[in-house]
Amino acid sequence: VSCVSGGLPKPTNITFLSINMKNILQWNPPQGLQGVEVTYSVQYFIYGQKKWLNKSECRDISRTYCDLSAETSDYERQYYAKAKAIWGTNCSKWAETGRFYPFLETQIGPPEVALTADEKSISIVLTAPKKWKKNPEESSISLEQIYSNLKYNVSIHNTKSNRTWSQCVTNQTLVFGWLEPDTLYCVLVESFVPGPPRLVQPSEKQCVSTLKDQTSTLKVK
Amino acid sequence: GLRRCLISMDMRRIEESFQGIKNAIQAKDTFQNVTILSTSETLHSIKPLDVCCVTKNLLAFYVDRVFKDHQELSPQILRKISSIANSFLYMQKTLQRCQEQRLCHCRQEATNATRIIHDNYDQLEVRSAAIKSLGELDVLLAWIDKNHQGTSA
Amino acid sequence: DGVAVLPAPQNLSVQSTNMKHVLTWSPVIVPEEIIHYSVEYQGEYESLYMSHIWIPSSWCSPTQGPECDITDDITATVPYSLRVRATLGSLTSAWSTLKHPFNRNSTILTPPGMEITKDGFHLVIKLEDLGPQFEFFVAYWKREPGAKEHVKMVRRGGIPVHLETMEPGAAHCVKVRTFVKAIGRHSAFSQTECVKVQGEALPL
Repeated sequence: VSCVSGGLPKPTNITFLSINMKNILQWNPPQGLQGVEVTYSVQYFIYGQKKWLNKSECRDISRTYCDLSAETSDYERQYYAKAKAIWGTNCSKWAETGRFYPFLETQIGPPEVALTADEKSISIVLTAPKKWKKNPEESSISLEQIYSNLKYNVSIHNTKSNRTWSQCVTNQTLVFGWLEPDTLYCVLVESFVPGPPRLVQPSEKQCVSTLKDQTSTLKVK
Repeated sequence: GLRRCLISMDMRRIEESFQGIKNAIQAKDTFQNVTILSTSETLHSIKPLDVCCVTKNLLAFYVDRVFKDHQELSPQILRKISSIANSFLYMQKTLQRCQEQRLCHCRQEATNATRIIHDNYDQLEVRSAAIKSLGELDVLLAWIDKNHQGTSA
Repeated sequence: DGVAVLPAPQNLSVQSTNMKHVLTWSPVIVPEEIIHYSVEYQGEYESLYMSHIWIPSSWCSPTQGPECDITDDITATVPYSLRVRATLGSLTSAWSTLKHPFNRNSTILTPPGMEITKDGFHLVIKLEDLGPQFEFFVAYWKREPGAKEHVKMVRRGGIPVHLETMEPGAAHCVKVRTFVKAIGRHSAFSQTECVKVQGEALPL
């Protein structure tokens, strides 16, 4: 679709939002066009290749984001992406991202956290976050396979003593023993990869109560 | 080999320095269709046996060519580049000391990979080549981190 | 203003403790005038390959005090040359250069502060936050003859970290030292601190 380029202001704040290699291009509408039915088109570029490529599913769209996960799935390569605004026969110049390097820039999501408790201990089983995949049928790739130095920061809060302490682990199962019976403990886990600074996404806080102390109940009888 | 040689390196400060110049430097690189380091045939295909030699060669490439060819006016960016350049100098010395006890043998594959990088550099006008190489430091740092640090944090 | 030539600052020296580096010099005195100073540095790379290049310090170009925090400028473990000059209006002194280049591997490392607490049977340690370059080498043991010493590397200060699950009725002791990977050195150990968990041994 040919249009008069530069007739509209460009989209703004165009960036990749990347979590576990799910790479979403997002932008803000051009300024000063409130109420105008603007649509957008997107292209992407593999650094070192020859030309910009159209993202057909993001041609003439009215939303302000576009999923480029499939196009940017080779995380060791680097990419650019750009979007332009279209309204009738007018369109903006392209608004372009900086160079995007999924391997270094993706946010590492939290692991799945499973808690089980008995009288005096809580066992925590962590399941590593998974890399984005195109089809559910595809086999999953754990981020541990991509980041060999992936670690977890486990923090546990004793709601009775109001004390919190943490532990940095690489293994996926840990048991906190010698806890207080009949006490609510809350757990928060963050994945992190030592290296360049990265945004971190903590897990949902999960709480579990240790069981009542059976020995004291026996004495009562 | 010398994979553990650079384990004592504090890569975090170098990576932080690069983050401080990444956008400014990469924005000046207008040749998006050309790369110096990141063609798949070079860095990503280096075998463990060649890691030491390629590391030594790439540090020398940056210290002897890239940092010298780049002329920077902004004090903020100059400080970051100086931090990286002096850290690379220290890494060269660390590798040198490590190397004296063990071999850092250069096979043909390692020499070829290094030559491709120098050839890529020579394809461009020298200022553009230096800017592009600086903009690709994140690729090199990630490669060094992956190949030298192993499980260290 | 009666000052034909401004004298260069004298007695440059660097004090460095726990990877905080401060350059000091003797102030240049001109009665009833405020003297400003500019600090510049050159890492070994610049002195070897670009000797004409001197880099303005992050925080002291210019500054009024006769000292300058150069921590953010000394970011590699190589020798750094440092120089200072005084300015008064349009008058500037000659540069005065530090006699011997400074290398951060000479920094003084002090044993870290630590806070030992218990949460029930759990021994928890909170270490002094000395910045991202510091790791902590924590040694802990049960206070009894022949007890084995355990070791744990703690990556960050400032947050409570779980150390050990203690046995009731036994005292547990801890000492810690810092380790700075960037210079490959560690501090001396701190004082040893011990805590005891009350109560008899629980039936197994």
